[in-house]
Amino acid sequence: MNVKIDTEGAFGSALVTLESGEKFVSEAGAMYRASPNMEISVESRKKKDEGMWGALKSGIKAMFAGESFFLSSYTPNDGQAGEVGLAPTHQGEVLSVKVGPEVWICSGGSYLGSSGSITLDTQYQGLSKGMFSKEGLVFVQAAGEGDLLVNGFGRISSVDVSGGITIDNGHLIAFTEGLEYTISKAGSGWISSMMSGEGLVMNFRGQGKVLVQSHDPSRLGGALGPLLPPREG
Amino acid sequence: MKFDIVSAPSYSLVELNLNAGESVKVEPGAMAWMDTTIKAKTEMEGGLFAGFQRKMAGESFFLNTYTAEGGSGTIGIAPGYSGDIIKRELNDETLYMERGAYLCHVGNIETSATWEGFSGTFAEGMFGLRVSGTGLLFFGSYGDVQEVEVDGSYTVDNGYAVAWEKNLDYSIGRSGRSIRSFLFSDQLICHFHGHGKLWVQTRSPRNLAAWVHPFRRVKQKSD
Repeated sequence: MNVKIDTEGAFGSALVTLESGEKFVSEAGAMYRASPNMEISVESRKKKDEGMWGALKSGIKAMFAGESFFLSSYTPNDGQAGEVGLAPTHQGEVLSVKVGPEVWICSGGSYLGSSGSITLDTQYQGLSKGMFSKEGLVFVQAAGEGDLLVNGFGRISSVDVSGGITIDNGHLIAFTEGLEYTISKAGSGWISSMMSGEGLVMNFRGQGKVLVQSHDPSRLGGALGPLLPPREG
Repeated sequence: MKFDIVSAPSYSLVELNLNAGESVKVEPGAMAWMDTTIKAKTEMEGGLFAGFQRKMAGESFFLNTYTAEGGSGTIGIAPGYSGDIIKRELNDETLYMERGAYLCHVGNIETSATWEGFSGTFAEGMFGLRVSGTGLLFFGSYGDVQEVEVDGSYTVDNGYAVAWEKNLDYSIGRSGRSIRSFLFSDQLICHFHGHGKLWVQTRSPRNLAAWVHPFRRVKQKSD
């Protein structure tokens, strides 16, 4: 398996080369090009040992995470190597990180794809945390051994955390497991917090890595939405 | 004539330096800036019928001609999308492209609509653009534009194909075979066949619009 990231700047994408027998999965609809031997199928999010009901629950959790119920999966079906290209919706960079040395936890909208050998688990954050998080109630935990692809709106920066860091939750892409976090207001009180325009932030503690995006997609949405005609229901 | 593609691939723009008497044909609206030596003329390239055909292919009825008069001059030409621009020298060749991809050309190149059949209706409309002749062609799209050398066949998500050489043909199908993928409306995809070059884009305006949709205000009774 080889993951090649194309172009820095506004239009990052990933071209994944798979050997026979290897598998890659992505957010449904992220594929924009593929070699003809690539078998493309749809699977719902589930863990290995869960049945129909478990799969349904996983799917519902994924929907809360701001992702589609289904993943697309790609496997070369003729004994030869094949390739598949994956791209996000937004303008911005795509980054590949190794899962194995670390377990990564990815925010809902930032997951693009991962090796078939990676186990994905949608994590429920608990009401008091998740309720305030713009990123949705759920994060995607990527464990196992392989490559994880994330997309950022704008530029992606990797931050080494030793001690602590505070990140606006709209700018969070992913973090390594082991970091503890709490969600709080940016300011000392609700009024100053609202006046600062920062709303809610995530306070990370411990040792690890955090990936952040330079821009917050929900702010673009918030700026464009009111300029468009109202929608039906 | 000299040219330069600047700010590629994110915000590409073509800068053409025309010698006196040279001209470039441009998709209306694509001229960003130009020297005062350059004069514009709007005409129905190829006459009324060709203009009508272009209109059906999602391009403009008219093409603008910009000519350097009385001295050399520079013109900046940019597409509506932020994205990559591809330069292609045609030597008695034909390219097909999706609507909106054509930007400008220098030389003896004709543009006309082609019927893509009902297969095209799902994403890009029923007509594509046929570009043929000899000269220098510029086209582009939203996102990065990547060149793929097709040898046999290749798969592209519907709406991501920008242009392809004449020897390539395509058909449209669904990606999965199982009934589940049919029920849950997985993406429609284009299967290209043959031998030749294909260009694909890496972002979809349709996906962006779908993403913005939930941010719209919900219609109230008073609206």
